[in-house]
Amino acid sequence: MASHAKPAGSGTKRIKGKIIILEDRCKGCDFCVEHCPRDVLGISTQFNEKGYHPPEVINEENCTFCGLCERICPDFAIYITTEEEVEEVKPEVKKVYANRNKNLPIVKSTMKGEFFMQGDIACAEGAIAAGCRFFGGYPITPASEIAERMAYRLPMLDGVFIQFEDEIASMASIIGASFAGMKSFTATSGPGISLMTENIGLGMMMEAPCVVVNVQRGSPSTGLPTSWGQSDMMQAKWGSHGDYGSISLCPKSPQEIFDLTIRAFNLAEKYRLPVFIMTDAIVGHMTEKVVIPPVEEIEIFDRKYTNKSTDKYLPYEIGKSMIPDFAKAGDGYRYHTTGLTHDERGYPDMTEQCQKSVVTRLVEKITKNIDDIMMIEEIDIEGADVIVVCYGITARTVIPAIEKAKKKGIKVGYMRLITVWPFPEQRIKELSRKCAGFVVPELNLGQIALEVERCAFPDARTKGVTHAGGGIHDFNDIVKAIEEVAHGKK
Amino acid sequence: MAKNKSKAPKNSSQHPMEDFLRMDRMPHIWCPGCGLGTNLTAFTEAIKKAGIDFDKVAVVSGIGCTARVAGYVKVDSYHTTHGRAIPFATGIKLANRDLTTVVISGDGDLFAIGGNHLIHAARRNIDLTVICVNNFIYGMTGGQTAPTTPLKAYSSTAPFKNYEPPFNLVSLVTSSGATYVARWTSLHIRRMTDSIVEAVNNKGFSFIEIVSPCPTVFARKNKKGSGLDLLDHFGKRSVIDHSANPNDIPMDLENPIVCGVFVNKPKPSFWENVQTGIHGEVKKHRDYEKSLSQE
Ligand SMILES: Cc1ncc(C[n+]2csc(CCOP(=O)(O)OP(=O)(O)O)c2C)c(N)n1
Ligand code: SF4
Ligand code: SF4
Ligand code: SF4
Ligand SMILES: [Mg+2]
Repeated sequence: MASHAKPAGSGTKRIKGKIIILEDRCKGCDFCVEHCPRDVLGISTQFNEKGYHPPEVINEENCTFCGLCERICPDFAIYITTEEEVEEVKPEVKKVYANRNKNLPIVKSTMKGEFFMQGDIACAEGAIAAGCRFFGGYPITPASEIAERMAYRLPMLDGVFIQFEDEIASMASIIGASFAGMKSFTATSGPGISLMTENIGLGMMMEAPCVVVNVQRGSPSTGLPTSWGQSDMMQAKWGSHGDYGSISLCPKSPQEIFDLTIRAFNLAEKYRLPVFIMTDAIVGHMTEKVVIPPVEEIEIFDRKYTNKSTDKYLPYEIGKSMIPDFAKAGDGYRYHTTGLTHDERGYPDMTEQCQKSVVTRLVEKITKNIDDIMMIEEIDIEGADVIVVCYGITARTVIPAIEKAKKKGIKVGYMRLITVWPFPEQRIKELSRKCAGFVVPELNLGQIALEVERCAFPDARTKGVTHAGGGIHDFNDIVKAIEEVAHGKK
Repeated sequence: MAKNKSKAPKNSSQHPMEDFLRMDRMPHIWCPGCGLGTNLTAFTEAIKKAGIDFDKVAVVSGIGCTARVAGYVKVDSYHTTHGRAIPFATGIKLANRDLTTVVISGDGDLFAIGGNHLIHAARRNIDLTVICVNNFIYGMTGGQTAPTTPLKAYSSTAPFKNYEPPFNLVSLVTSSGATYVARWTSLHIRRMTDSIVEAVNNKGFSFIEIVSPCPTVFARKNKKGSGLDLLDHFGKRSVIDHSANPNDIPMDLENPIVCGVFVNKPKPSFWENVQTGIHGEVKKHRDYEKSLSQE
């Protein structure tokens, strides 16, 4: 209210004031007219610009400036002002922005050294090393060890661990924590990812930096809870409805889970989106040597905060980088964000043009930065007749197959996709002009093979080597595929 | 608290809500006679009255007419997905405990699709204030049955009347463990405001149900007249009884709407429990962290 005038009638002098009606805002509900305790207001016979009858003051002398009309009006169309000198109790509001325009401070981990460590645990340690101090999750095999490790580790570092009622909540919570300025992540497997997908889309749309770990198991549905697969690869690209760019990293060992989890956080911070670690039950449950370097040797990237003043900041204003500058909750920017298509102010904008610009940017901020994001490992690619394209655990099972094929005199190259998304489209195209074809073994019935085929066509052929999961390829099947491609057999 | 003598402007050209709303988005999308604008005024009045810095308030909503509040109130505000405002807000609150975090959403959003999150957040006593605008229906999508739709009321998916019993929101939330529980109607502007002040000051899970008129779909389908008629109807039917047992005051189309503050029993919040319990235990073993390293 403009002022907190005392109601008249207490024997003191009458308060002088005014009733102000913003006629064009009024929607004619008559709440003010009906509920004025002193019948001060009536309904005007005039129409406002929207075609409603606004109220009018008919008995000004009866008004006590109680403010009820102002408070009950749902359209902020009527208010009162008083000329009375009033004593106003103004609570002192202290403004403290201790950590403005940066991520919330964290307690650093001192853990370092060489360990014999399980993949899931290495993932948790990678997150901690990256500066993540918020985990929201729900137990599921084969990812539960990540949650368990975080429950053990975060309290040592004054971090937040919370086990939610489901994966939907887990995903929502990490986006919330991210907007509060804390690096956050969750870890799950197929069924959990399926539940998370709506909020993964929210994270994409709001551009929330965070990390989602999928320790893949045999699918679909409950599938093979304790066994493995690589069947959620397309889900990591297309899981939530709509178009958006995806970054998905595929580690092949516990050491690599550690390293790539740090990288996943760095990429999430840089490009402002949920980044996926697409591992599987073998790598997650495998125990191998993991080296954790001292914290000062680990390269960490934090999201770019705005340096604009609170009145100039627009949460989705795009500079050269295609990535909007960040502001966290509580820094005084008082900004809005929504899962609706929004303009640079973060306000809903339902136009075709806005939809186009938002969606295009969500895709292109990843595809146009592919050189910065993409990681591929290539061995013996130059002069190869057949290139084996692999990722994750399958990158280990192909090795004996490649060796055997080489012994048979075939020139075989090895291409490991450390980032499956964004897909190395140009690189495959380029190589397709130089080789006979690609062999793509994976623990699904042909997902990434389709991508390779799309890029290799028509210059080179692509042969997938499928496996439904729950076991690993018979390396002879891979050798056979290599031979078929090398000898041009259909 | 400091007492300041201040002279009210003689001819303020600004509506007093102007500093607290995104005026560049007015007029809002709500229908004529919808109670949502009134409820929003009560919320901002309450934050002012509580002396909380608006910079330190985060409002989170789900999806629905009510959820659009997040787009109009000028604080850090997050319009999320249908039903998921509470876990989103939990993430904000636990990451930065200095923020007053408030969820404002509809009855369908909070009790149908988001019901599970609500009862668990209440059980954990997460330090959130949840304001549920109960209009007995799904407003945004055109008047389908909600888990609050009274028995024998019409909705667009209950063309032959609704035969599912509705939830009694205050009872459900109380039995789930909420430490502050109140019910008001949009007509109780002052009491509702005071209640929101108490709720945001409660360091735990606070819940306020606001029974609010939806003239466009609820009233129309049920021949209840205009927003004003509904408001009058609520006014006539409501009684205030703070001592009422929340289990005994269900909502229907005829009986009194019992309003009041039914629960106000502060208990340690989720974070206080974690802090004193788990973190307390860990601090006894200061060397845990170090002992994990291997040279
Ligand atoms: C996952 C999902 N399902 C359905 C919808 C469609 N939807 C939008 S709002 C809404 C109901 C809102 O009802 P309520 O929470 O009571 O809000 P009101 O509009 O009445 O304020 C529904 C079903 C949606 N947005 N998302
Ligand atoms: S301030 Fe009070 S008395 Fe005056 S018009 Fe408004 S409701 Fe009526
Ligand atoms: S309460 Fe507001 S919208 Fe309704 S008639 Fe009065 S001024 Fe107009
Ligand atoms: S549909 Fe109902 S709840 Fe939604 S804005 Fe209109 S009156 Fe309000
Ligand atoms: Mg509703």
